[in-house]
This record gives sequence, structure tokens and C-alpha cells, in this order.
Amino acid sequence: MPHRRGIYLEQEIASMAVIENNTLAYPVSPHANRGGLKAGQNRIGLLLLLPAAVAFAAVILYPFLSALGLSLFEYTVEMMEPRFIGFENFVKIASDPDVWAAFWTTAIYVALTTTGTLVAGLGWALIMNQPFAGRAVLRSLSLLPWVLPSTVSAFIWGWIFNSRYGVLNAFLMELGLIDYPQAWLSTPEGAMLAVVLTKIWLSIPLFMSFFLAGLQNLDKEQIDAARVDGAGNWAVLRDHILPHLRPVLMIVVVLGVIGNLQQFDTIYALTGGGPVRATTVLSVEVYRRAFEQWDIGFASAVGVLWVAALLPPAFLYLRMLVKGN
Amino acid sequence: MNTFTRLIGTAAVALTLGSGAAKAADLSFMSFTYAEEANKAIVQGVLDNFQKAEKLTVEPLGFAWGDMQKNIFLRARSKTLPDIAQLSERWLPTFASLDNLVDLNTVYGKDKLEAAFAPDALAMGNINGKQLALPLLSGSIGMVANKEVLAKAGINDAPKTVDDFKKALVAVRDKVPNSVPYSMATKNNGSILIDFMVWNWVHGGRIIDDAGKVVVDSQKSRDALTFMVGLMKDRLAAPEIDRPDSRRLLAQGASAFYLDAPQTRTFLRDFSGKGQAFDANVLPMPTPVLKASDKPVSVQWGHLLVQFAAGGKAKADDPADKFLTYIISDKVQTDLPLKMSALPVTKSARAAVAEDAYLKNWSAATGDARRNEVGIWSNAADLTNIIGEEVQGALLGQKSADDAIKSMQARLTTSMEKAKKSE
Repeated sequence: MPHRRGIYLEQEIASMAVIENNTLAYPVSPHANRGGLKAGQNRIGLLLLLPAAVAFAAVILYPFLSALGLSLFEYTVEMMEPRFIGFENFVKIASDPDVWAAFWTTAIYVALTTTGTLVAGLGWALIMNQPFAGRAVLRSLSLLPWVLPSTVSAFIWGWIFNSRYGVLNAFLMELGLIDYPQAWLSTPEGAMLAVVLTKIWLSIPLFMSFFLAGLQNLDKEQIDAARVDGAGNWAVLRDHILPHLRPVLMIVVVLGVIGNLQQFDTIYALTGGGPVRATTVLSVEVYRRAFEQWDIGFASAVGVLWVAALLPPAFLYLRMLVKGN
Repeated sequence: MNTFTRLIGTAAVALTLGSGAAKAADLSFMSFTYAEEANKAIVQGVLDNFQKAEKLTVEPLGFAWGDMQKNIFLRARSKTLPDIAQLSERWLPTFASLDNLVDLNTVYGKDKLEAAFAPDALAMGNINGKQLALPLLSGSIGMVANKEVLAKAGINDAPKTVDDFKKALVAVRDKVPNSVPYSMATKNNGSILIDFMVWNWVHGGRIIDDAGKVVVDSQKSRDALTFMVGLMKDRLAAPEIDRPDSRRLLAQGASAFYLDAPQTRTFLRDFSGKGQAFDANVLPMPTPVLKASDKPVSVQWGHLLVQFAAGGKAKADDPADKFLTYIISDKVQTDLPLKMSALPVTKSARAAVAEDAYLKNWSAATGDARRNEVGIWSNAADLTNIIGEEVQGALLGQKSADDAIKSMQARLTTSMEKAKKSE
């Protein structure tokens, strides 16, 4: 007598064979998708992606590739057609102190603006997270710098710092702290401070929104328990809030670095990259080379290096997004 | 009719209307004067009258003075140049290599142009024998003073020498509160160049000689820059001042002197809010000199009109050329330049306005203007930036006048060598 389990197995195999034979026997429509449902979905997905891909190719990819190509050419205002010179523009950059100075200025600007915005944005988010009368109105008003066009903000700050009719000078003279109007935008330090403050002011709403969203998920009971255990404000911030906001912090830092590396409009509107070259970051350097010195090839080469500087934080950001961090 | 047919029909109608709109104007005219609030109506008047006279329409494209070069450059690269563009005289060499710039000698004939235009005006548009531009307005950049401010400071006569000038500035500083005695350009490289060039000439220096050799590294140029730095240190000049700021300060009685073209009168009328009543305060004066026997200096100035056409070829009966003909006619030349407080460019129009008191005073004060020694080179934009940066560095105390001049010499030399290689 065969084993009972073996009988069941034989029966199971037999029934599977019947199902398989029956399946093969079913008529198949000539219009049926050979790839199945998934392939059809993929095709629709690609089709939906097409407009965005075309727009991306036309507005971003093509200009980028053009700039990449032009970086290998000499193309000045005197020339009707560009002349291929290989990597000569990059060799020139290596020995051009102005370009290196622009890299250094960019590093200072990015470090100051990112750090400043991080601290101010977090501080403001913590205040906006507290319950108080009129919080909703103040939260809405906090978005104002974000709503204003950045060049308008730059002109507002330019008016504040102006040496002849600036609000800052008027205020300090009223307090008797200075005897004569100071030309804040005419010193390298003052000009850098002005462009950094302007950018921080513009970016606080965005950073605050990120932090505020993060703070909504913070376990209040955990904070209450810490307070019961005697934790002060600093201890709560260090041991509970900051660890909780760590993923948001990372995203915000990376986005901040990318945004500040790309910054052009406020700096150009406020100082034009000056005085002399004190606030000439890479974006302003590219603009000056292209539209003040009319050297498109060299400007493209600086632009390529600028993009290279943007790639590591961009890669980090994409990695975080893909990993869902 | 199905949806597809409807879509095609709509697209066809849109295309037809679109092409109609594109052809609405017979020619396009890019102008920075058109973008100036004080002068827009004057230019619009000329365009309207041209339309009435020739039954041709003009599409005006107004761009700020500071954005004009960039726009022309980009339009040249994207092959969307206007038919006619207005240029400052110092920009022409930069664009001289554009192959669709029309040599107007081939359109009107060299003899005809020479017969019509004042030689100094026509020369501004001539490069290597080609008439690449026609003059629109002319004049010079010289010193302007505000008589009312001088009176407040107790100054009766315009200072003649540099020493007198400094004494006058000190008087203004001490007697007119919150004033900038001399609104020297300290912000925009293009404006700084003019101030440095003038004071350099006053001190006997040159930046680049006629052969293209950079000669700024001299004691005379050092003296000029040291003089300018001294004005900053003594609070006789101020940082963050560009030409438009100078105009506003003078118009509002907050400055006594600055350098500008004769059209300053139009700006001052506008910025003072007093209109023609402000004319009584405007005093064109010779730029102060080192010794009383020295000849005052001023910089040649003018606005030009260039024509762009495919292959640089045009005919006198093309709409754009009819517009050029109209704009240099006596009808326009005896009116437009006067409204803009500048000298006409044709011989007949100059004769007609010879008795205009303001222009007469201006010409007498500024004397024979010298050609801009930087603007005549094809790399003028680069040279201007270098000079502006070095002068500004010295004025703001970031480097000594000596270091600035040495660095200027080296950087200008490199730029000139590079430009020669590209030619």
C-alpha cells in the first residue's frame, strides 16, 4: 500500500498537468499584449513621461550639453564662429586667480548662508511650534520672504544697507553709535554680510516649513517625560528634538547647499559681485565672463566646474530620496 | 468636424494671426533712450512722426543702457538682431566684427555722408574706413556743477585748477550738510572708467597709447589715482555712487560737481522735479586743470545708430534705411538732440542750433573732446572691467594706488595681447 502522502502528491501533480493542458488549449486574442499587463503599463508610463522628458531635454539637457561643448572652444565677441581648443580653457582656469577666488568666495558664502539659515530656520520653527495666540497669523507672515521675488528682497536689503539713505545708518546715527554714514556695501566684509543676510532672510520660510513639519511628529509625551526628569531646554533640544529631526536636517542641509551654490539674483542685484570682486561667487563669475567680458568659451568652462561642485550634494540628495531616508 | 480637424484649424488660425503679429512692424529699433523714463516720450514722438511720413511702422525695443551690449551680443548669437540699434560710441569696436553689421558707405555713399555730417560726429561711427554706424547725438563728457550748491558753500566762480577744486569741495563738505561734494563714480566699472580717464588726462597720463600699448604704469597715472583716493579719504567723494546716483544727488542739491554728457540737463530737469526751472542751476564748466595754463579735458561722447541686415547688405529704400534717413533729417536733428540736451550731428542742424545758449556754453566749457582711449578697442568691455576693478580697489582702500596701477598695467597688457591674438 503506497504511503498516503505519496498518493496526495501524485494526485496534485496530475491535477496541475490538467490545468496546464487546459490553459494551453484556451484561444488567445491576436491583439493580446505578448508582454502582459506590466509591459502595457510600462509603455503608458513612458508615454506620460515623454512631455516632461522633452521639456527637460530642451530646457536643461541641451543647454547643458551645449555649454559642455562650448567649454572646449574659444568663443569671444570678436569671433563669428567658435574655435576648438580642447582643454585650454580649463588650463587657463587652473592659473587664473580670479576663478579660484570665486571658488573660495562661493565656499564662504555657501557655508555662512547654509549655517545661518539652518540655525535661524530651526529657531523660528521651534518658536512657531509653541502654542500662543496669533500663531497661525505669524506662521503665515513668516512665509512673506518666500513669496517676495528675490530681486525685490535684494533691493529692500540694498535700501537698508545703502550708505546715503539706508535705514541701518539712520538707525545707528539716531542712536549716536556712528558719526557719519557708513558704506556697508563698500567693504568686502560688509558686502558679504549683506548678501548672506539677504539669502538667510529669503530661505528661513522654506527651512522653517521643513522643520515645522518634522516637529509635528515629535512625541510630546517623550518631551514631557524628559522635563519631568529635570531636562532643561538645551537638553531637550540636544537629546530629543535634534535626534528626531536628523533626517529632516540632512535633507535641509543638502538642499540648502545646492540652493546656495546656485544663488545669483540676490547677489547680482545687491552688490553686482563687488566691491571689486568681494562677492563674486561662481554664478556671478560665469555671468561676468560671458556677458561683461564676452568670453563664452571660458565662461562655459567655469560653468562646467560649477556644475561639478553641485554634483556631490545633488548626488547625496538623490541617494537620500531613493533610499527613502 | 472631428476634434483632430478642429485642432488643426485652430493651430492654422493661430499661426496666421501669429505671423501677422510678427510682421506688424516694418522694422525693429532697439534703443536705450527709449527705456529712459525722461526720454521715452521724445523717442516715441520721432517714431510716430516717421510712421506718418513714410507709412512704415517701427517696433521699439527698449533696454536699459547697462543691458544693451548683452542684448545685442545674445541676439547676434541667436540670429535675432533688430534692424536698427542704438549704441554708445564706445561700444562700436566691440561689435565691429559682426558680419551682419552694414557698412553704411555702401548704402548712402561715402561722399554723401561726409557732406551731410559734421566730421567729428561721423568719425565716431567709422572703423578702419567702414562707416559701421551713423551718429545720432554728439557732445562731450565734462564737468557739471550745481550753482545753487556752490552759492550755499560761498563759491562764486567755478574752480579752474585742481587746487581750487579741492578747496571748493572742502567748502561744500563743511557748509552743505549730508552732501557728496563731488559725485565721483565709484560703483559701476563703466562709469569709474570715465572718471579715472579724465583725471588721468588732467594729470598728463594715458592708459593705452594710439598703437595699443598699455602705458598706465606711470607717475602721472599714479598721481591721478592718488588724487582720487585722497578725495575719498577726505570725504569729498563717496562710495556706492554710479552715474544715475550722481545725477540724482546733483538734482536734489546734495552734490556740487560730477562728470556727465550735456544730456545731463534733461535728467536734472526730471530728477529735480522742477523741470526747466532747474536749468538756472546747471553750470557746465571746464574740468579743473593742474596749472591754469593747461588745456581743460573732456571725453568725446555720442550715441550711434547701427544697422543689421543679412550678410551686411542693405539698400537705401529698405525700411530700416528710410528710418535712418528720417532720423538724420533736419526735421529730427533740429529737434531731438535739443530735447535731449545734446548736439545734433549733421552740419545743417548744427548751424540751425548754433545759438542755443546751453549747448554753446557746454561746447565752450568742455573744449575739444578727446576720443575715449579705451572704448576704441574691440576688447573694451574687458579693459573697462579691469580698470574699474583696480580703481575701485584703490578708492575703497583695498590696495594702494601704486599696487592698483601696477596690477592694472599687467592685466590690461594681458587683455590687449589676447585680443590681438583673437583678431
